[in-house]
Amino acid sequence: MSIVLVLLALAIGCYLVAVFEGWAVHGRFSLMRPAISALALLGREQILPRTPDRLFFETGPILLLVAGLLSVAVIPLAPGLIITDLAIGALFLNAALAYVLVALIMAGWGPNGAYAMVGGWRFLGQFIAYAMLIVMPITAVAMRAESLSTTQIVLSQAALWNVVYQPIGFVLFVIAALGVAWLPPIDLPTGGGDLAGGVEAEYTGARLAVWRLARLVIVVALSGATVTFYFGGWLGPWLPGWAWTALKTVAVAAAMLTLGRHLPRLREERYLAVSWKLGISLALANIFLVGVIALLVPI
Amino acid sequence: MSLGPVLFLAFFGIAAIWFGVVVFRTQSMVRSAIALLFSQTSVGAMFLVMQAEFLGVLQIMMMATEMSVMAIFMVMFMMDPGGMGKMDMTHQKRLSLRAGGIGLVAALVVIWTAGWQGPVPEVPGADEQARMLGREILGRSMFIFESAALMILTAMIAATMVAVAPQERDRP
Repeated sequence: MSIVLVLLALAIGCYLVAVFEGWAVHGRFSLMRPAISALALLGREQILPRTPDRLFFETGPILLLVAGLLSVAVIPLAPGLIITDLAIGALFLNAALAYVLVALIMAGWGPNGAYAMVGGWRFLGQFIAYAMLIVMPITAVAMRAESLSTTQIVLSQAALWNVVYQPIGFVLFVIAALGVAWLPPIDLPTGGGDLAGGVEAEYTGARLAVWRLARLVIVVALSGATVTFYFGGWLGPWLPGWAWTALKTVAVAAAMLTLGRHLPRLREERYLAVSWKLGISLALANIFLVGVIALLVPI
Repeated sequence: MSLGPVLFLAFFGIAAIWFGVVVFRTQSMVRSAIALLFSQTSVGAMFLVMQAEFLGVLQIMMMATEMSVMAIFMVMFMMDPGGMGKMDMTHQKRLSLRAGGIGLVAALVVIWTAGWQGPVPEVPGADEQARMLGREILGRSMFIFESAALMILTAMIAATMVAVAPQERDRP
């Protein structure tokens, strides 16, 4: 039962994210636009590039969707409303998101096109930048909860949300999450300005529809993860738990979609340099600080 | 162990071997790297079937990133990364056959002669396993892990040094 409910919530979340993204990109709020775009994509001709690596070309979008769905499996909507409450949920989320990289490399290599390939390998560089910044803040979150279970992580924030308890980790996690979902200003693999769509360039029709859906699932999963790790998950007064999770997730997704659009696009070597020189030092400091606070003040 | 897990274990074991064979049968460097990734993912799935959740998920996560990085190195250093020019990936066939044969015999000898104690009757829960692993890594095995980490860091710095093109002013 909870699988059906979570998937239904995910579908609604994806649709809302698509509406928000359309609003942020085109400047017009339209509840119908995502549905019309999806129908248009499904009805369009599916062009196959010349001499593709057919296996990779077809597998890329599906693997991306599977990675997104698996990462949603460990995000709790309310107590008991979770697909699988693994004891190592936070690690599982990481493992699922690691396959986003594999999917992008496959989709970049598959079509035998220059723009797609550059986009795919660029994402590998981007991954090297964000990989540590997504794992190390989660380490600090798990340290406070003394557990890798996402449910335990939410419960550990009953007295104080992690966004206040470990703000450095929160900022680093959000920057890394923007990298995972290639949202602006870190949308290098699809880079509208210079790559003409990058990894998406050679995809058309139903394949592109699957690809865009998968990307929406990943945005929702990352927003859900941010809410679980930093905004106390389902915790909140008056409303039922699932409503709090839904509200917070949509708010985080809307913020992630809109804020980055006001910043200039980061080049990947700059993202790499900042992530490694500044980001990892800050992430280590965050782990140290959280360790000291957890030892001294039991909150 | 009941029949279900044994069947799954056999399935993922065969998948691991099959993807391992694909690594050498394909001409494309990227396909080769991704096949190796899925071979290792199957090994991770075997861990999961044997209820070693933490190790299984860790294996599945680490391999995704490592094999992707390996793929780009293979693409950079091979003459025909796409395998479109029908480059033969195999070489020194006789030596490889002999080495592989000796390895196979050695593995079989170990499998048949080792005193396996059979499956443990009670598997600790996943959270308990994670705790025990943590104590092991921060206790008895700490030196091994720390020395391995130092070696990897040295290799990373060395690889970066090799990769960075020398500037004009650095040349004598």
